[in-house]
Amino acid sequence: MSKTVCPRCATGGALADYQGKEGGKVVWTIHRCPTCCFSWRDSEPDSAIGIGIRSAHFAVDAANLDRYVKILQQ
Amino acid sequence: MMQDLAKQSRSITSLRDFLELLGDAGQAITWSERVMPEPDVRNIAVAASRDANGAPAIVFDNIAGYPGKRTAVGVHGSWDNIALLLGRPKGTTIRELFFEIAGRWGDAAAQISTVPEARAPVHECRIESGINLYDVLPVYRINEYDGGFYLGKASVASRDPEDLDNFGKQNVGIYRLQLQGPDSFTLMTIPSHDMGRQIMAAERTGLPLKIAVMLGNHPGLAVFAATPIGYEESEYSYASAMMGAPIRLTKSGNGIDILADSEIVIEAEMQLGERVLEGPFGEFPGSYSGVRKAPIFKVTAISHRKNPIFENIYIGRGWTEHDTLIGLHTSAPIYAQLRQNFPEVTAVNALYQHGLTGIISVKNRMAGFAKTVALRALSTPHGVMYLKNLIMVDADVDPFDLNQVMWALSTRTRADDIIVLPNMPAVPIDPSAVVPGKGHRLIIDATSYLPPDPVGEAHLVTPPTGPDIDELSKKIRAMQLGALQ
Ligand SMILES: [Zn+2]
Repeated sequence: MSKTVCPRCATGGALADYQGKEGGKVVWTIHRCPTCCFSWRDSEPDSAIGIGIRSAHFAVDAANLDRYVKILQQ
Repeated sequence: MMQDLAKQSRSITSLRDFLELLGDAGQAITWSERVMPEPDVRNIAVAASRDANGAPAIVFDNIAGYPGKRTAVGVHGSWDNIALLLGRPKGTTIRELFFEIAGRWGDAAAQISTVPEARAPVHECRIESGINLYDVLPVYRINEYDGGFYLGKASVASRDPEDLDNFGKQNVGIYRLQLQGPDSFTLMTIPSHDMGRQIMAAERTGLPLKIAVMLGNHPGLAVFAATPIGYEESEYSYASAMMGAPIRLTKSGNGIDILADSEIVIEAEMQLGERVLEGPFGEFPGSYSGVRKAPIFKVTAISHRKNPIFENIYIGRGWTEHDTLIGLHTSAPIYAQLRQNFPEVTAVNALYQHGLTGIISVKNRMAGFAKTVALRALSTPHGVMYLKNLIMVDADVDPFDLNQVMWALSTRTRADDIIVLPNMPAVPIDPSAVVPGKGHRLIIDATSYLPPDPVGEAHLVTPPTGPDIDELSKKIRAMQLGALQ
């Protein structure tokens, strides 16, 4: 399990989905959190992905995922 | 010249054709200075959309980490671009564009032609294994707190899982898609939309639901496929009829009719019963949606043209491309539906936030008549959920000219001449709703007084109006632009 921590729900284990490369050199990496489904690019501004800097209003509580409504229930 | 433009418009078959047409008219630019995916693409798209009348489409071809890839925004981002799509010159007024679309409503016939898959440009390149959407799509975060990377301008085609052979029951609609890893995405919809219905039918019956996601499409499809037409009418036929031009279809690898000339098509299958977290997404009211659990689709194949252009949209707090993309075509059906009962209706402006505010001009037949028309507007298919604030003006007021609307509000409105309808249906993402999906409606009667009202109309100044004056104002604008060159 990776040590990359999700900026939205603060759990570890994020996956690296893609690396943007130029001339063989990695320019940035796209990560995805398997807990809260947040995806981000490590080159984004701190206001969006900085742990402790990102607006707390958009945090997801990983301990309470049941509160999110399932759409299109029969 | 007008005829040339109309002919050019009818010969558009693809995004590429349209970008070329726009480029020739000074309405598309290529941004070759190096940009970061975030925040540069968003910043440039927002800066462009400040000019609702004249903003160009922008094609980015030098995005850090995406060598050789291209993304386009703002293709429908200004009235001038919409005018060129409809075969009218730059500088055509919003009112003229409205009547151009309203005049085509229910008038023309569809022309659908079929291209064999082997000859369809969309299938030039095909990926069936080792699928990674990020290899093909130079995505970027549209708004800062979006939950991921979104495809904001995807036309999704699907067949009714219970009636696979029915062309008419095929659905094409614009839904927001969030990438959920290299080969998956979520799709957001509501039960009343065609896709919501099909998802629920597939899960009820256990039948597979296959879809084809078209990106970078014929520019008429995005305008006309977002329309609330009947479930059994084909959006392709409708778009062709409204464009007055043939639409070229082919088959996707998973058996769905798709546009033969699209840039990219992603074939996918729904994972029955599964839901994963989706959102937030900066939506058209200018606020973020919530986080919810949405259906997830697994990608089975990707087709694309050589050197494809990934088309996306900036959407958020208005004014944005979303408003020019759907505004007129939100207004025209309401106009047509109202006129079936009330030919006194002379124009409908539902440009603002998908019609959360609408302005309707009407020849007042008797005292209070405008309010009757307003109530009818609330019962049109779009009005049921969206028309939250309605401003009723007289026929001598152009609802597309907000200076005139403000004049009517200033001189013809009494503070008690309004109606508030409490606890009505509301579109769930309206942030002012009492609870999501339920809110109040407001009707402001800004029409003049008629008997038996004792006040009567004031003696009005009648400045010159009409097409001659419209032409003069365009001429002044053209002379002004000419003076700069
Ligand atoms: Zn997370």
